[in-house]
Amino acid sequence: MSTLSFTVSGMTCDHCVSSVREEVSEISGVTAVDVVLESGALTVSGDNVDPAAVLDAVDEAGYQAVVS
Amino acid sequence: MTSTATQPQQSHDNITLSLGGMTCASCANRIERKLNKLDGVEATVNYALEQATVSYDGEATAVDDLIATVEKAGYTASAPRGPRQSIDDGLDVTGERGVTLKTRLVGSAVLTIPIVALSMVMPLQFAGWEWWALALATPVVFWGAFPFHRAALVNLRHGAATMDTLVSLGVTAAYLWSVAALIGIAGEGAHVYFEAAAGVTTLVLLGRYAEARAKKRAGAALRALLDLGARDVAVIRSGVELRIPIGELQVGDTFLARPGEKIATDGEIVDGSSSVDSSLLTGESMPAPVTAGDDVVGSTINLSGQLTVRATRVGADTQLAHIAKLVSDAQAGKAAIAGLADRVSGIFVPIVVLISLLTLAGWLVFGGTPSAAVSAAVSVLVIACPCALGLATPTALLVGTGRGAQLGIVVGGPQALESAGNIDTVVLDKTGTVTTGAMAVVDVVATNASTASDEVLRYAAAVESGSDHPIARSIIAAAHGLVVPVATAFTTYDGLGVTAVVDGQLVAAGRPAFLMQQGFTAGADANETRTTIAVGWDGEVRGFVALADPIKPSSAPAIAQLISQGMRPVLLSGDSAAAVDSIAAEVGIAARDVYSEVMPADKVDKVRELQNAGHRVAMVGDGLNDAAALATADLGIAMGSGADAAIKASDITLVRADLTQVGDAIALSRRTLATIKGNLFWAFAYNVAAIPLAASGLLNPMYAGAAMAFSSLFVVGNSLRLRRYTPPSFRPRERRGRSVATASGSVRGE
Ligand SMILES: [Cu+2]
Repeated sequence: MSTLSFTVSGMTCDHCVSSVREEVSEISGVTAVDVVLESGALTVSGDNVDPAAVLDAVDEAGYQAVVS
Repeated sequence: MTSTATQPQQSHDNITLSLGGMTCASCANRIERKLNKLDGVEATVNYALEQATVSYDGEATAVDDLIATVEKAGYTASAPRGPRQSIDDGLDVTGERGVTLKTRLVGSAVLTIPIVALSMVMPLQFAGWEWWALALATPVVFWGAFPFHRAALVNLRHGAATMDTLVSLGVTAAYLWSVAALIGIAGEGAHVYFEAAAGVTTLVLLGRYAEARAKKRAGAALRALLDLGARDVAVIRSGVELRIPIGELQVGDTFLARPGEKIATDGEIVDGSSSVDSSLLTGESMPAPVTAGDDVVGSTINLSGQLTVRATRVGADTQLAHIAKLVSDAQAGKAAIAGLADRVSGIFVPIVVLISLLTLAGWLVFGGTPSAAVSAAVSVLVIACPCALGLATPTALLVGTGRGAQLGIVVGGPQALESAGNIDTVVLDKTGTVTTGAMAVVDVVATNASTASDEVLRYAAAVESGSDHPIARSIIAAAHGLVVPVATAFTTYDGLGVTAVVDGQLVAAGRPAFLMQQGFTAGADANETRTTIAVGWDGEVRGFVALADPIKPSSAPAIAQLISQGMRPVLLSGDSAAAVDSIAAEVGIAARDVYSEVMPADKVDKVRELQNAGHRVAMVGDGLNDAAALATADLGIAMGSGADAAIKASDITLVRADLTQVGDAIALSRRTLATIKGNLFWAFAYNVAAIPLAASGLLNPMYAGAAMAFSSLFVVGNSLRLRRYTPPSFRPRERRGRSVATASGSVRGE
């Protein structure tokens, strides 16, 4: 069980938040996803989660993420 | 369901879906990505128009699949009723399916007015008036405020609080409290607040309606842009000329452009030569000569000869479509800023709710009765209800924009005012804003000692009388009052010049190089900063006619005024460096702030460049070529005489095409914005100051009502002061001669 932190840029509304949440939660091993619109903070909890998969998922949703 | 899939081409169908539920530009991207993931589907989503243009394989994909994909992404989509939907159908921004925002607004307003009158005007009150207020307020609170309740619930599911939450909560609390007070369960002497519940609903609906209309205008800008394109085209297929709709033209097709006709799409000239007026698209005030091998841009106008053109780009790839997309993107980007108010209430609302809950707990813990505890807790919610807050913006906006209209300044909405408040750089498009935008003869020089300058002009007018070129018209106009000899045997050399026989000798007028080519001997050098027409007869160049786009008399004082207001003027133009530099020097713009030979798409880049350097940029323009830059700038200001698309892509429109109004518009916007901020500060101050009083149970309902009324009256009074606002150029001590006096004179005449 581990927690990864990212910063997402480009989100402007609640829909953006749910898109990111949706895409990231589909990654295998992910148990919890927390996205904050105002700060762009993305926190992912789970077992053996690949950070690269999270970056890809955020990209898939249409936003840019960096590890923070 | 609807069988719309039978289009002329069998395996490639097109459809325009109307979308719902998008709240930002990223939503549009998301839908686009999801649709493009489907096999054989190519989709473009336009946020401003709220539609998706989809090209798909009718055999493999059904329209229902497309709709299902959009719905799975969390939005709504609907197919057009007819086989083909025009762009206009996508422009009806109603906000709600079935019941329109306007219906809700009008209905709520009609019911609210008597409630407010009954509650605020003591002599109107009669025994049991509160029950009438209840009857009138109930539909407003449930039906009128329904969009806010629904949005608040949706937000709650996502754990978010927005302005909708605040409105829904305030309205509901005020209403329930009033009902409780009326039926006597809220304790002795409890006051009713039906006017607050209904008033807030109506005012916020008014705000939303104004916003929806602004968004509709954004869509109209795109429509105006796309309307500029050609509708049909004369295409040559297998040697036969066919007239087909523009949508069926394909890359590689050869089509004709006749004189005076719009060139259908971007292409390369295969045959013919002519001159092309591309001022609408590129901002160049001079028609350009074109011949076989040259590229032409769709939607520009072919002036003189017939051209045969091979299409190189069609549809969404053309320059016109590119500009339309730039405008759309810029407007979508701006719309996202509007979410800022929601972020503020995202903090304010939870704090108010928390205080309310703490109040309830506090009273119960420290031995208050449940009735007193609930009374104090609800008082907190009611007092935090944005009553004066709701009045702060619309009243100032109403008075400020009304004053603007009197002065000939049309302000688009709150966004424009907010942007105008902190502008530090004003980008001016040269043609049509600083200059008149029309060619005129500024100088006639005779280069031969035996020739008078009048004679040069007379002969020039005579040979140009056979041409319909804009330059020819300017020269003929300048020769008005002179005796112009009769000319015969006209020959037009497209984009180069004209020859004719006048008084029995061959006279030529045109580019100096053209006259050399025709065998005339050279005269003295022409002034390079202007458009110069050489005139010759008897085998010799006899003189020059210089044309220029004259500077408006009001431009120099207007730019001086902008500088005195703390702004930096920047001049931008598609014209040559020489022409732009001399104009900048004449109106007082620093040489380092001049950008010439800037193409339309580059105008957007220049504006972005300044924005990235930390500047807050206003863009002033009048042409279609400015539309994208106007939409990109923090504040877009369109000159009233300009293109429809430019006006629609802008935030502020100046009715008189006079630069003096730019400074006035910014000054008025700043004053209006300051008024709104003042209103908001006081409204907030009253609310925040009253919260502790309400929490401690000290707030006598009568005083609460009085405080609310007072804060609202204060806000209205403060806004009304804008009616007497005098912009800088109207102030006597700042008068700078004739042009300013003319400005005030023409307003009185309106
Ligand atoms: Cu979104």
